[in-house]
Amino acid sequence: MIQAQQLTKKYGAKTVVDNVSFTVQPGMVTGFLGPNGAGKSTTMRMIVGLAKPTAGQVAVNGNNFRSSKHPLTEVGALLEAKSVHKSLTARTHLRAMAATGGISRSRVDEALELTGLSQLNRKKVGGFSLGMGQRLGIASALLGDPQVLILDEPVNGLDPEGVAWVRNLARQQAAEGKTVFISSHLMSEMAQTADHLIVIGRGRILADAPISEFIDDGLRQTIVRSSNLDPLMTVLAADGVQLTRLDSTTLRVAGPDSESIGRRALENGIVLSELRPLQRTLEDAYMELTRDEVEYKSQVQHDAVAGGTH
Amino acid sequence: MSTHLATPSTGKVTFGGVLRSESIRFFSLNSTRVLILVAVVLNMGIAVLGVWGVGSFASEAPPMAGVPDMTSPEFTAELLGSGLAFSQLILGVLGVLLMSGEFTTGSAVSTFLASPQRLRVLGAKALLITILSALVQLISSVLTYLVCLPLAKNYNMKLDFFASHFQNVLWYGALAVVMAALIGLALGAILRNSAGGITSLVALFFVLPIVTGLLTMLADWVQNVVQFLPDQLGMSLALPQSYPSDLELWQQLVGVAGWTLIPLILGAWLLKARDI
Repeated sequence: MIQAQQLTKKYGAKTVVDNVSFTVQPGMVTGFLGPNGAGKSTTMRMIVGLAKPTAGQVAVNGNNFRSSKHPLTEVGALLEAKSVHKSLTARTHLRAMAATGGISRSRVDEALELTGLSQLNRKKVGGFSLGMGQRLGIASALLGDPQVLILDEPVNGLDPEGVAWVRNLARQQAAEGKTVFISSHLMSEMAQTADHLIVIGRGRILADAPISEFIDDGLRQTIVRSSNLDPLMTVLAADGVQLTRLDSTTLRVAGPDSESIGRRALENGIVLSELRPLQRTLEDAYMELTRDEVEYKSQVQHDAVAGGTH
Repeated sequence: MSTHLATPSTGKVTFGGVLRSESIRFFSLNSTRVLILVAVVLNMGIAVLGVWGVGSFASEAPPMAGVPDMTSPEFTAELLGSGLAFSQLILGVLGVLLMSGEFTTGSAVSTFLASPQRLRVLGAKALLITILSALVQLISSVLTYLVCLPLAKNYNMKLDFFASHFQNVLWYGALAVVMAALIGLALGAILRNSAGGITSLVALFFVLPIVTGLLTMLADWVQNVVQFLPDQLGMSLALPQSYPSDLELWQQLVGVAGWTLIPLILGAWLLKARDI
């Protein structure tokens, strides 16, 4: 379990993490979602004591990680790809890390095997691709079979198979009762992995809820297409139903579900050429949440967001 | 919590574990092996050149009145230590790299995740570089002695391993190298940058003595300061004939302790206080 209380980090005049409080529960995957520069990495670095909070505090399993006596079995973290001396091999790096906590050599072999790095015996880390670096980072994180797993953008640079592997790993670790905290700037990735989401933007928590709430939140919408729209609009018009005519044959209906729209059309003998429920995706919810919180906004992206949610 | 702990250990971090971890990484790096080899070879090579040069010069020119006898046992013993400055520089550079490498390569993140108690890591590194630099200098002095022995005999120069002159070169030489290595380690922790750390080390051991040497012509008190520079302290302890000092032995040793501990304490404080 990770508990952050009023956690704040300032670099000079710039507040990177602003009075953030949250709890990451064991037994589930918690996604930490936010645009680039939102403060995700800084928060994670504060959790493991690499950065000192300007104010507030954070505890891992009830204690400050800086005083942990069993750091490798308590927390496994991937914070930066290739946080390894470039002239070492993956095995030497893991052996050195394991030696710190008296973890056996067989565990090093297991970690290499698990992450598919055991074939790279003589290759120096400096020559690793981004994906291989990520795999080594994950191997380091798993080395002590830790209670808390913290992964900062773990799927960056991984191939689709690697992405699926990380997803399974996270789910499996959570199923074993461990605390799994994964950051990403991609909602689509989190949608498939996380049970719970903490959304951060410009250093502030924007949302902290189970993932289902992000999808169900908001009105149901349906796209209806027919060459005979005017009578359809008349029969559908009722309290709480919003009708938006998109063009001469297309209508967006907010309120009733698609089945009842179809039944009303049948009852009134109106032919429909299309009846399509609009899924409010996590992506939409995320864009809406972070629209004003994006640090590095591009005009194109801004337009796309505006177009997608209105 | 987890019902199956496949890990065959508690993962408890100990000083011995951190020391082992540091050794595994340090000795896996080619730079470590190359620098140690260069230190030993330079130390021997410069001594051989010294003995050969002085020996052949003295055998051709008879001793002159008023000029110290360069073939005396004292001077011959100190010729074997003429590579000391290079050993200090090279082991000092190793000290810098041992710490700065953590920050230039980003491996500090892994290191301090595995051992969040930062001073324990610095302590393990300090012990590692102390033992290593002492051993390298002792072994390289003994090898130098063995190589120079037949050469010195050839020129009728006397060398005695157990005489105080060579013992000074051996033990105080090792002390001087340990001091340089620990200053290097501290510079690595303070500056977190290899180029900056090495430049500062060279400035401290090579440039500062030259600058202050020039200044002694302007004011007498500068001479007292010069004697407390790390380069001068180490040289006058190991090679007292060639680098005479007005300081008492205890003053010299206090000087060495100060140069070793004060930068390390500063480095430790910064390591603890700053973000990784």
